[in-house]
Amino acid sequence: MSSGDQAPVKLSLPLKYQQELFQELRLPGDDGNELVVIARGLGLLRLVTNLLHSYDAAGGTLILVVGADERENGWIGESLAEHAAISMSVKARGLNVVNTDVMSVGTREKMYAQGGIFSITSRILVVDILTSLIDPETITGIVLLHADKVVATSLEAFILRIYRQKNKKGFLKAFSDNPEPFTTGFSPLSTMMRNMFLRRVSIWPRFQVSVAQSLEGKKKAEVIELEVPMSDSMRDIQNAIMECVEVSIGELKKANIGLEMEDWNVDSALHKQFDMVVRRQLDPLWHRVSWKTKSIVNDLGVLRGMLHTLLTYDAVAFNRHLDTILAAHSPPPGSTRQNQSPWLFLDAAHVIFDTAKRRVYSGKATGNGADDIESLRPVLEEQPKWAVLAEVLEEIDRDLYFNPVVRDDSNGTILIMCTDTAQCRQLREYLQNMHVRMETKPGDEEEEEAEEDPEASAAFMMRRHLRNYLTWKKEFAKISAALFAENQSALNGASTTRASNSQSYHGKAPANKRRRVRGGGNTGSRPTRAANGSILAGEDKPLEVATLISEIQPTELESAQKEEVVTDPLDDMEDFYQLYDTEDLVVIHAYDGDMDEHVLEEVKPRYIIMYEPDTSFVRRVEVYRSSHNDRNVRVYFLFYGGSVEEQRYLSSVRREKDAFSRLIKEKSSMSVTLTLDAHGIEDPQEAFLRTINTRIAGGGRLAATAQPPRVVVDVREFRSSLPSLLHGRSMVIVPCMLTVGDYVLSPNICIERKSIKDLISSFKDGRLYNQAETMLQHYKSSMLLIEFDQNKSFTLEPFADLSGSYSSVSATNPSSDLQSKLVLLTLAFPKLRIIWSSSPYQTAEIFESLKAQEPEPDPIQAVRIGLEGGQKAEDQAFNREPQDMLRVVPGVTGKNIKSLVVEMGSLKEVANASVEELEPSVGKEAGRHIHRFFNKSVLE
Amino acid sequence: QVISTKSSGSSIIVSPRQRGNPILTNLRSVWEFSDIPADYGLGLTTCALFLSLKYHRLHPEYIYNRVKQLAGKYNLRVLLVMVDIGNHEETLKELSKTSMVNNVTVILCWSAAEAARYLELYKSYEHANASAIRGTESKGYAEKLVDFVTVPRSINKTDAVSLVSAFGSVRAAINARPEEVAVIGGWGEKKVRRWCSVVDEPFRARK
Repeated sequence: MSSGDQAPVKLSLPLKYQQELFQELRLPGDDGNELVVIARGLGLLRLVTNLLHSYDAAGGTLILVVGADERENGWIGESLAEHAAISMSVKARGLNVVNTDVMSVGTREKMYAQGGIFSITSRILVVDILTSLIDPETITGIVLLHADKVVATSLEAFILRIYRQKNKKGFLKAFSDNPEPFTTGFSPLSTMMRNMFLRRVSIWPRFQVSVAQSLEGKKKAEVIELEVPMSDSMRDIQNAIMECVEVSIGELKKANIGLEMEDWNVDSALHKQFDMVVRRQLDPLWHRVSWKTKSIVNDLGVLRGMLHTLLTYDAVAFNRHLDTILAAHSPPPGSTRQNQSPWLFLDAAHVIFDTAKRRVYSGKATGNGADDIESLRPVLEEQPKWAVLAEVLEEIDRDLYFNPVVRDDSNGTILIMCTDTAQCRQLREYLQNMHVRMETKPGDEEEEEAEEDPEASAAFMMRRHLRNYLTWKKEFAKISAALFAENQSALNGASTTRASNSQSYHGKAPANKRRRVRGGGNTGSRPTRAANGSILAGEDKPLEVATLISEIQPTELESAQKEEVVTDPLDDMEDFYQLYDTEDLVVIHAYDGDMDEHVLEEVKPRYIIMYEPDTSFVRRVEVYRSSHNDRNVRVYFLFYGGSVEEQRYLSSVRREKDAFSRLIKEKSSMSVTLTLDAHGIEDPQEAFLRTINTRIAGGGRLAATAQPPRVVVDVREFRSSLPSLLHGRSMVIVPCMLTVGDYVLSPNICIERKSIKDLISSFKDGRLYNQAETMLQHYKSSMLLIEFDQNKSFTLEPFADLSGSYSSVSATNPSSDLQSKLVLLTLAFPKLRIIWSSSPYQTAEIFESLKAQEPEPDPIQAVRIGLEGGQKAEDQAFNREPQDMLRVVPGVTGKNIKSLVVEMGSLKEVANASVEELEPSVGKEAGRHIHRFFNKSVLE
Repeated sequence: QVISTKSSGSSIIVSPRQRGNPILTNLRSVWEFSDIPADYGLGLTTCALFLSLKYHRLHPEYIYNRVKQLAGKYNLRVLLVMVDIGNHEETLKELSKTSMVNNVTVILCWSAAEAARYLELYKSYEHANASAIRGTESKGYAEKLVDFVTVPRSINKTDAVSLVSAFGSVRAAINARPEEVAVIGGWGEKKVRRWCSVVDEPFRARK
């Protein structure tokens, strides 16, 4: 590694553009405030760590890293330590990570006082600054990662505002390697910079001159592109999925007239996250759209997932995945066509399921009668990329053989990169087994061929997968039957017509009664259609399955092969531990963002096979190649031609380029005039007015209300934007651990804030009922704040007209809409007030008016309220998610959940507890319920 | 006349002041005119006042007089506000304050049909218990199970079914090691990490 010229600090920035950028950042002028937007894969984190190190080595500083995630913390920490060791700087302290509430307030305070570099989770940092655990004036500077996420109402913007209010000298360096968010909306770049109080922006796309020069020198990496055609059946499935997407989008358009949906088409569906795009467009009205629309949007997500799994999973796994999807989406028997996913009714859906099955096995119909045996034969189509991969490996082998090793610094290692660990596992298994030959069975031509053929084949692996699949399938049929049996028995009682329907759902109807589906009997089993027309899981006849199983019984040779252990045997790791020679390894890795840089540096591969395309990895290879003079790299680049994968890759390249062009354009025409003080120092007029309390006759006496208004806020509320906005309206925010309510405005006023989404979910699990109950116990004015989002439509009215819904207005029918639940709530708590707010901004104003003329709240009192004898406020720091899960468990009620949470440590403990262990905290009856829920076996 | 006010029969009692209000044409349950201090009588202890924001803007004092006339007669006093103007922020802020001072519960609606539906709901739920919002609804095991597994973000219905069917029971799924979960189709790294950390996460963040 070469070192920069900044002695005594040793840097590891070998490339010219990296050094330029570093110099720019370290420039003493212009108070060192800057926003850097850099293309993905150009080594952002490396730059950040070098920068941090240069401060670290100087010592005597307090630098905060904001917005780093867990892995980035790990990376920064490691390389800071490494740098400190290399440049032997005495003063370097490395990175301190504060990311949980676990660390006590006292230790945190002590740590901050010592100085150094801290990476702090935003939620904790904001509380620490507000409670002046960190004095903003002592902060030397803030390094902000993921600057693209800073919007006006975000926590980070809140932190920066407090910081800038109190501290005008400290620096702020913001980084982002995600240019796209900077280009949506009206003059987004300048808005974003205003949020961060920054004036200077520096943009580093891949096509920037010095970047291009650094990467396109004479040391370019050798790239070989290989376009792999998809197999016919894969293409069929992909087309069918696209058809389903098209129809689903059509349904959406039909159901939501009056929405802007011109760009909802199949072309945009090829785009990486079309379900997210649709979701975002619907988001303003999400609480109003019908149930059906929601389920269709959900379907789009499922379909997109399918497009991906089609390319990555092997044929058997894909079919199995489809089985699960089908089971999860099967409507409960007796339900009508209206409330099911529309795509399941399409012929295309049939094509998907049918073709997927035929990729695994097919049956030849010998007759139409029920007595004829339709024999099933394994087909086991292989993924086309596998063969190509095998060829590439062979070519590399030959290459190594004929051109003996050129002396250079890289290992002979072959690095294979793919999208996820599941893919890694698949490839590893394939490479291990591709040369396993099967014993020839007389009469089995196919395998004879395989015997003679030296080509790699996945037959062995696929046969094993199929065996596993068949056993799994048998159990799965039982499980889904068991799972949905309850529904069925309930419905059977209701009507006999449904009973017959549910029987066919079990798939136990004799084969000859099954409806013949288009296309004749070329397959033994296939998805059939239920009476109401939706696709039904096809059940194989036991006899057929038996023949199929015997067909693929492991041959002697196969069983001689050791069954591969799927999980890594970590227990007896030491027995197997051994250092491999790095010269001839094949390493398979999944793309993992910035971590890939480490992989490249450590593995030092001579050959890289990109099993799937990835823009940023291409850049990383470029950077790696250019950083090392003496390492030759050859890259093989595999992709399916005409597939979603290819489209996605191309569009991601295009979008990034567009985003950068727009950024540069905006930068050139931007006029930023900023004062550093946010909304400034407190308005003197306001401060003056506050000192004169008009309620005192004539305002004659200057009352002791000179202190600014105060609001006690529950620390968990810092996830929302409201505290930031309240602070923006010059209120003092006191973060506390509250047991009752979210906001305490005065000794009498307590407010529970609910966004629409929260409102729906907390009605569902009964949380709101309990919260209202305890609030009313302790406060005179208890209020429920229903807060709509800034950009969401301010109404609860559904799109569907209300005409048909009269039947639901009866006391016996617990109808599901929000209105009726609100009615029930107000009937149950006539004293509970409801506040409606169209946005968080509006809420801040309402709070102000509610607080006027009320005494200020007492934080200590507010914390104490609701605590039962002996409980301490610190014990109330709950993790929300596991508790939400616990609340769903039958037997757990709003009352006993508290003791359960105190007695038991985690969900795992509750799940493993016996009835006797549960009894002391929840009682016998509830304990039994809980125990039954966790231990009920779905296999029975 | 007197008798009809006392009885809390099955009909909604409407004050003659409301004659001509489009809500009445949207009311599909039984209703009758009767002289009551509120606009709508929705049961023995429940009443509603109706306010259109358009009207409120012209006569801001009207609603205060009406609330005063109620004189603490009802236990639950609903102020049914129809939002029929664009810039409602200022007015709604004022009404929030009013609701606290004068003990009325504000319910917003956006159309006559929705207003009528609220009235119908109040009347028909007069004697209903609150079990529908206490989270004590009875559900099938499969639904409960799916609900349970899908609480952590990014885990969907398909994942729930595949997870539990792979391990046999919820308990086994909770005790599963990350590597074992990762083998299941559809369970990517993110989901696996999310699931495994959430079941092991302590309920309370201890200090």
